[in-house]
Amino acid sequence: MAITGASEKAALQALKASDWHLEGAFDVFYSQPQIAVANTLHLEEVYNRYKEPDADMIMVEGISQLCNDLQVDPQDIVMLVISWHMKASTMCEFTRQEFIGGLQSIGVDSIEKLREKLPSLRAELKDDQKFREIYNFAFAWAREKGQKSLALETAIGMWRLLFAERNWPLIDYWCQFLQVRHNKAISRDTWAQLLEFVKTIDPQLTNYDEEDAWPYLIDEFVDYLKENGLVQHRR
Amino acid sequence: MMNGGGGGGQKKRAPRIEPFRHRVETDPKFFDKSWRKLHDAIREIYNHNASGLSFEELYRTAYNMVLNKFAPQLYEKLTENMKEHLEDMRTCIDAAQGGLFLEELQRKWNDHNKALTMIRDILMYMDRTYIPTNKKTPVFDHGLELWRDTIVRSPTIQGRLSDTLLELIHSERTGEVINRGLMRTTTKMLMDLGLSVYQDDFERPFLEVSASFYSGESQQFIECCACGEYLKQAERRLSEESERVSQYLDVKTHEKITAVVVNEMLANHMQRLILMENSGLVNMLVEDRYEDLTRMYTLFNHVPDGLTTIRSVMASHIKDTGKSLVTDPERLKDPVDFVQRLLNMKDKYDNIINVSFSNDKSFLNALNSSFEHFINLNNRSPEFISLFVDDKLRKGVKEANEEDLETVLDKVMMLFRYLQEKDLFEKYYKQHLAKRLLSGRAASDDSERSMLVKLKTECGYQFTSKLEGMFTDLKTSEDTTQGFYASTSSELLADAPTISVQILTTGSWPTQTCNTCNLPPEIVSVSEKFRAYYLGTHNGRRLTWQTNMGHADIKATFGNGSKHELNVSTYQMCVLMLFNSSDVLTYREIEQSTAIPAADLKRCLQSLALVKGKQVLRKEPMSRDIADDDSFFVNDKFTSKLFKVKIGTVAAQKETDPEKLETRQRVEEDRKPQIEAAIVRIMKSRRVLDHNSIMMEVTKQLQPRFMPNPVVIKKRIESLIEREFLERDKTDRKMYRYLA
Repeated sequence: MAITGASEKAALQALKASDWHLEGAFDVFYSQPQIAVANTLHLEEVYNRYKEPDADMIMVEGISQLCNDLQVDPQDIVMLVISWHMKASTMCEFTRQEFIGGLQSIGVDSIEKLREKLPSLRAELKDDQKFREIYNFAFAWAREKGQKSLALETAIGMWRLLFAERNWPLIDYWCQFLQVRHNKAISRDTWAQLLEFVKTIDPQLTNYDEEDAWPYLIDEFVDYLKENGLVQHRR
Repeated sequence: MMNGGGGGGQKKRAPRIEPFRHRVETDPKFFDKSWRKLHDAIREIYNHNASGLSFEELYRTAYNMVLNKFAPQLYEKLTENMKEHLEDMRTCIDAAQGGLFLEELQRKWNDHNKALTMIRDILMYMDRTYIPTNKKTPVFDHGLELWRDTIVRSPTIQGRLSDTLLELIHSERTGEVINRGLMRTTTKMLMDLGLSVYQDDFERPFLEVSASFYSGESQQFIECCACGEYLKQAERRLSEESERVSQYLDVKTHEKITAVVVNEMLANHMQRLILMENSGLVNMLVEDRYEDLTRMYTLFNHVPDGLTTIRSVMASHIKDTGKSLVTDPERLKDPVDFVQRLLNMKDKYDNIINVSFSNDKSFLNALNSSFEHFINLNNRSPEFISLFVDDKLRKGVKEANEEDLETVLDKVMMLFRYLQEKDLFEKYYKQHLAKRLLSGRAASDDSERSMLVKLKTECGYQFTSKLEGMFTDLKTSEDTTQGFYASTSSELLADAPTISVQILTTGSWPTQTCNTCNLPPEIVSVSEKFRAYYLGTHNGRRLTWQTNMGHADIKATFGNGSKHELNVSTYQMCVLMLFNSSDVLTYREIEQSTAIPAADLKRCLQSLALVKGKQVLRKEPMSRDIADDDSFFVNDKFTSKLFKVKIGTVAAQKETDPEKLETRQRVEEDRKPQIEAAIVRIMKSRRVLDHNSIMMEVTKQLQPRFMPNPVVIKKRIESLIEREFLERDKTDRKMYRYLA
């Protein structure tokens, strides 16, 4: 309990599972991080530190403070990852439940611990499955409340952020194209399908098939690239 | 003489047959003697001396020989003997010179046949007993074989025979007359000797020689003949060869020689002939040369891919001609003429296919698809076809009698079928029909309805339901107007102008934005009474006067005393009525009083003041353009031969470019919900479907009305995904799923 900071219950569980061997118990404990830490009082305390004085939410100022304490830029993508863990419904806001539940699922109960966890949170973006979930989560999260589609500027910002991690060579052209040709909000389907596009179609578009079920915006993007000679490939 | 073998009878006292008690000796010379008899007889037979012989005796001789088991030797001797005779014959035949060769051959052949018949009869017993048992060739056939081997296939005769026959045929082909009877008997002889003899010794060389003959002839002719001439020659040769076969060749040769002629004269030169400049297929089509075309069709029917080639050349020609017709800017100036030309072209090819191509279905199909191809190259075709129908229906039975009109409309329906954008046609037809109906210038109700029926048969009820609604509206309006006059007291209506109201159900009629217009007070008064009447019986409806669509008859008295009834548009009426209270008005004043939009008002004034012969108003200055301060006066010098004068035309015009654009945009807009409806319908029944299948199904469903653009279909799918009617499958992004 002293070493892991686990609760008595969790400690007993771990020891039982490892047949009362201490070393084994550590292994057991650390292999189930989500279930481990559950110091709710700590979490409440942390929450209260950042919440708005007259509302039961953490808003822009609180988040700004939080980022400060974590020593990260508010634009840092790790904030997105954290929001994902929290299942936050809108950016720049955390409800009590979201905040506390999120920290629990990350497996921390203090800012220091959260700060320590930051590298591993960042690493989650490298995992394909998790990246997809975070990416798709980002759409609803970044939306204006009550809107069905994502405003173009926001979408572009998000895409730049996300695809910097993935190193998609066409990201600049994509954003350029949208601003020049599209100038409208982005639908959920387009958002989701873009990820598929990035993952399956190579930057020279050799395996792109226009008869395929890509959203028309992506088809137009391909036309844009071809018209401007940005891809060599000729079918 | 009977050799008895005595089988002892079981019965007592039965007669017993006992052998001779002396030695029976057979005559050692028996065979030779017998043979000698036959030998001599045969000699006589070959010498045409058979009459002195006794058939019975000879038969008996042969019979006895066989009984005495001398059949093999007899057969051998016979063979030898016949060979000798045949060799003699051969000598004679060899000796025959030139033309006598065949005659001599024939003569000897006849002799041999006669001889053989007799010999066979004599040796009948052997034929029936020894020969079958020992599987030997029967006498007659044997005789033929000997003839074949000794004569026909002899080194001196074989080549000579073949050459002679072929030379004769060649002469005949080059125009000389030959002895066909002799030819016939000779070929018959070969046939009698066996099919393989005929084929090997005659038919094969015949076909070879014929092939090179026709190859040469075709080369020669194709260099100097036009296509039509050449085909005539080919036809001639074909019938000549047919005749040749029936006259003196075996019937089985017919097919083969025909194939040779067809191959050498037609198949080998097919492309060159069909595509020959200035005389080939295209030229024949252009000049309606039915006879040549029929000949070409009949002849090339024999050639593999012959008809396919003709058909595709015809189809490209039609497409090219059609394309230049529909893209020629000159032609586009007169829509009615444009369509008339299309109809003429269709008639032309219908005739050609009917007369020369025996109404071949595949050709009709090619014609249809060519038309479909080029008609849709011009996206104004739907509009023009509607204008054509409009023109015909306006003129109606004045110009053509009812039957002719029906025929023309049926033909137009053929063109209609080719249109890919039938919904665009519908929009135009509606517009034009509305103008016709409202101006009262549709000539015949029957013709209009008949046209509607044709469209319904072609496209279904949905297509025409709104159009039919227009007719119903007019009928109902008549009744309503009558009802109005019947129920409203005459005092109220005493001085009011008589109105005839047409109530148009919005949605059935083409939408028009209605602009402002101040009606003259007399009109306002009576029209408001009408409105009150109507709304009294039809609660909850809204009436809006369409001042841009009406017309009026005005009785006018001019300063020079002439009285006329003027038929004008509503706008024109508003303008003219102003002159009841002022002698002169400026444009600005007129504009203010009538509140008619500038563009329409200017057009209206121009038609009242600037059209020669119809100048009801006078304009100062006389310029065409209308400035704010220009003045208008009633033209007191107005004259016309007719009492009733019609001002301004309400006939449908082909659209100006901005109007065209607007109509097209509206059509595109209308298509979107139709595409969506199709998508939903399909997905509802299939539940899950992949992208390509959905594209295909949607196109198939909508094709009778228009060709949906794949990009638009995609956008509609996405819109439906957005609105949660559909979703993409979670695992396969190319599949869509219907969301209930």
